[in-house]
Amino acid sequence: MIKTKAITKTVSTTQGELQILQPISFDVKEGESVAIIGASGSGKSTLLSLLAGLDSVTEGEIYLDDQAMHNMDEEQRAQLRGAKVGFIFQSFMLVQSLTAIENIMLPAEIAGHKDAKQKALDILQQVGLAHRANHYPNQLSGGEQQRVAIARAFISRPKILFADEPTGNLDAVNSDKIEKLLFDLNETANTTLVLVTHDNTLANQCQRQLHMQAGVLTEVTEKLTKPSLAMEAS
Amino acid sequence: MTRQTLGLAWRLFRHETRRGELTIILLAIVLSVASVLSLSLFSERLQQALTDKSAEFIAADRVLYADKPVDPEWIEYAQGLGLNTAHQVSARSMAFSNEQMDLVDLRAADAGYPLKGTLKTSEEPFSVGTATKLLPEDGQAWVESQLFQTLGLNIGDQIEVGDASFVVSRVLTEVPDAGFSVFGGDPKVLIPRQNLAATNIEGPGSRVGYRYFFTGAKADLDNYYKWLKPQLDRELHDWDSVEDDNSAIGRSVGRAGQYFLLASLLAIVLAAVSIAVAAQRYSLRHYDPVAIMKTLGAPKAMVQQIYLLQIIFITTLGIVLGSAIGFVIQHLVVSAIASEVNVAIDGWHWRPLLIAIFTGAVCAILFSLYPLLKLFSVSPLRVLRRDLGANLASRLIQFLASGGAVFILMWAYSQNLKVSAILFVSGIALVLGLLAVTYGLIRLGRKLAQGKMSAWQLAWARIHRRAMDNSVQLISFAVTIMLLLVVLVMRNDMVKQWQEQLPEGTPNYFLVNISQAQQPQLAQHFAENQVQINKFYPIVRGRFAAINGEKIRTSVSKEDDEDNRNTRNGLGREANLTWSNTLQNGTVVTDGVWFGDNPLADDDQRPYQVSVEKRLVERLDIKMGDVLTFNIGSEVIETEVTSLRDVNWQSLQPNFFFVIEPRALRNFTPTYISSFGLPPERKSDVTQLMRPFANVTLIDVDARLNQLRSIVEQVSLAVEFILVLVLVAGALVLIAQVQASMDERQQELAILRTLGAKGSLIRASVIYEFVIIGVVAGVMAALSNELSLLMLQTQIFQMQASLHLEYWLIAPVAGAAVVGTLGALGCWRLLSLNTSHLLRQMV
Repeated sequence: MIKTKAITKTVSTTQGELQILQPISFDVKEGESVAIIGASGSGKSTLLSLLAGLDSVTEGEIYLDDQAMHNMDEEQRAQLRGAKVGFIFQSFMLVQSLTAIENIMLPAEIAGHKDAKQKALDILQQVGLAHRANHYPNQLSGGEQQRVAIARAFISRPKILFADEPTGNLDAVNSDKIEKLLFDLNETANTTLVLVTHDNTLANQCQRQLHMQAGVLTEVTEKLTKPSLAMEAS
Repeated sequence: MTRQTLGLAWRLFRHETRRGELTIILLAIVLSVASVLSLSLFSERLQQALTDKSAEFIAADRVLYADKPVDPEWIEYAQGLGLNTAHQVSARSMAFSNEQMDLVDLRAADAGYPLKGTLKTSEEPFSVGTATKLLPEDGQAWVESQLFQTLGLNIGDQIEVGDASFVVSRVLTEVPDAGFSVFGGDPKVLIPRQNLAATNIEGPGSRVGYRYFFTGAKADLDNYYKWLKPQLDRELHDWDSVEDDNSAIGRSVGRAGQYFLLASLLAIVLAAVSIAVAAQRYSLRHYDPVAIMKTLGAPKAMVQQIYLLQIIFITTLGIVLGSAIGFVIQHLVVSAIASEVNVAIDGWHWRPLLIAIFTGAVCAILFSLYPLLKLFSVSPLRVLRRDLGANLASRLIQFLASGGAVFILMWAYSQNLKVSAILFVSGIALVLGLLAVTYGLIRLGRKLAQGKMSAWQLAWARIHRRAMDNSVQLISFAVTIMLLLVVLVMRNDMVKQWQEQLPEGTPNYFLVNISQAQQPQLAQHFAENQVQINKFYPIVRGRFAAINGEKIRTSVSKEDDEDNRNTRNGLGREANLTWSNTLQNGTVVTDGVWFGDNPLADDDQRPYQVSVEKRLVERLDIKMGDVLTFNIGSEVIETEVTSLRDVNWQSLQPNFFFVIEPRALRNFTPTYISSFGLPPERKSDVTQLMRPFANVTLIDVDARLNQLRSIVEQVSLAVEFILVLVLVAGALVLIAQVQASMDERQQELAILRTLGAKGSLIRASVIYEFVIIGVVAGVMAALSNELSLLMLQTQIFQMQASLHLEYWLIAPVAGAAVVGTLGALGCWRLLSLNTSHLLRQMV
């Protein structure tokens, strides 16, 4: 589903160029769930932004569903995101001026689907928020907001789902609920899942963990196994 | 554009409107459209009413003055164009009755006169007249009150003018085109034109003037003048229209028109600034939705369409609401004042509506362009990195777009490229100057406020931290306050100067020909009847004979021909000479030394000194040091011009072309003139009052005064209405500004609260911050107000420049109070939230 070949990211600062990602290569298979973990500033969010096509790589090659994202401009990447990618964020990132149902409809509408509303209602039912359809985000609790965000992520049946600290803003009870919902939906839809987290419980539920440290991918851990393979940072 | 895009845009718009996100932008658009529409509609109607009123003073829309009868073809051509015409012949002639005689202003008019305004007549001299559409019948004459007195006339008496005799059938109390000179006019006698030939006063050597009156649609009148102009002879003809009316009324109307223009332009600039401020905030608040949409795969074009549609929706809504409100406002105002001002309520003017729509659209689109472009440039990466803002670094587009919008509006409004360019360039220079000074002040203030943590220091620190942004905000406050001040001060000055022309107790009657012996008796008699009589001026009638020994017959007659018919025409063959060592009120010496300040001994051998009115000096080409010769009876006196005076002819006080040293005229027996004011309810007392003084001539200027007063009242009222609109626009800018800083404030407050700062400290610091900004803005406003006023008054309004020291106090105090209050009110909700609530809202 995802293929990276020695991707790097360099940014310009007042003190000159700063490489925030050292060359990284790995693959993610279709239907696989992968957690990117690491300390703050280790480069995990940067990696996620490159994998999701939100930002462009400085060097290297990156393929999403066999399409060469490193050759695409922002418009083409947007098109690809719209067609194949779903997102969940720590701060939910709901449009405050739209209701729950309208937020869920948003990706389907952007993609030009005609039955966006029906799809949204169905999925809202699945996340257990049918009664909150016409509430605005600020009228919902954190857990409810994240459920709306999950519903929004799944509405256009993405092939791959990116989640950035999906439980980072939630209490323990809500975190558990969200984790369960996320993995259930993921399994049902057979979606590939890539998430960034600090939460070990959440990371442990993924089939693979990529450990980041100072812009370097230090190791890859398979679920329920000891660290087996130290992925070189070539 | 897809249906989905439209649907999404509409849904976002609906929710945003309901949630109040768009309120300020909407209000700003509504305000600009409503104010432009109501102002220009009202102004168009008022201008029309005032022009009509002014037209009454020349009894038509256009008048052709001629020294000889014109080719009848000229009149036929005008009638062929659909214009209404009327004709009047005027002549100065002697009138005889009861073995008395007097010089009169004979007017022979044909049917149709007056085309504008009304004639008023009555049965009794010096009584209130009623309007009539008739003219005297064949063989009859209508005569002004003054002549009843001088000739001892009664209704039904015969009066002889030239070779003809007329029956005096009514008292003529008001003639629309009488002019405003008090002593210039001889009493008028109105006769039918067909009786003119019988008088035989037309002929070689006679001084007869021909007036041809025209009314009709402006385009037809303009076409007619285009046709007529090549055929006119400057020596013989003079074309007069209400627009180039240089009388007091004409200038008042002109000034009011310019004021409307300026004030509405300022109201628009203010509204536009609030749109820009509100759009900026709107843009900032939509960084996240744009990033989300882009993340979810929305192409750039779709995002652009969604937000452009928002602007189109809001602009359309604003224009519709604004037009409706604007129309209602002006209708209410017009209805409210309909009893006082004769403004037509019916009739629709398209131009104001088009200008209002144009203004709304230009303001909304060009002022929100930069914030929108910024919004479009937001990266999708913002969903992960919240600190990422917009990528648009250059503010050039902002300056080009908003500058362009202001300039386009100025141009559209003034329809004068030069004036717009001058205003625009000086505006930019002013803003840049203010920006530099403000930036400096902020830095200085921060240095001065260093020390232990106090509310004041916190406030300065907050201002200083965002020095550039705050400078811009401060400039907006300063410019807003300044514009308000300019409009307010201009209004006060203008109304004051108008009212000074006609203060309470302005005399409405003048007395002429009072003998020396009568003077104390008259004073006593008036005192007994509780009528205040003004100063007595001695008068000696003299003939102005020569300049530097050169007889002036030719230049005088030429001067008479080209005389502005609406001002003095008294300097015919005889002049009223007065003497005094004190300068009259409202009179200023513009050249030389007033002889009262430099009196010569009675036996001094040097020529007598004379002070001459400035405009006469220009007309007769008199210079300082010239010797002017006057014949008084059989005596000849020679005088040297030692000073020139600027006389306020609009003061309706006795004014003189020549004031001579007292020693020159001491030996002549003078008559006196004076004036008094009588309230309307005592008008009937006047005959009783004058009975013991049969030879004293009474001149009634009440009708002319009332004409002037009604114009001043109408214009003042209109000006006040506009002031209110500009004030609302100003308040809106202030609110938009406070609103714009709210998000950042919220964050800062949350941090301060979390760190344990006391509520009272935070509240005080927020209030102080706004107070500081208000005071600084007020000082800057007072300074720029003074400069702008100086320029406006001297360059555009042709008024006397004046200092406005009181505003140096008022502006900072009002700035502190208004900005402080608005700021505190705007932040109050925020200040009263508890810390956890604040933190939650930040997420």
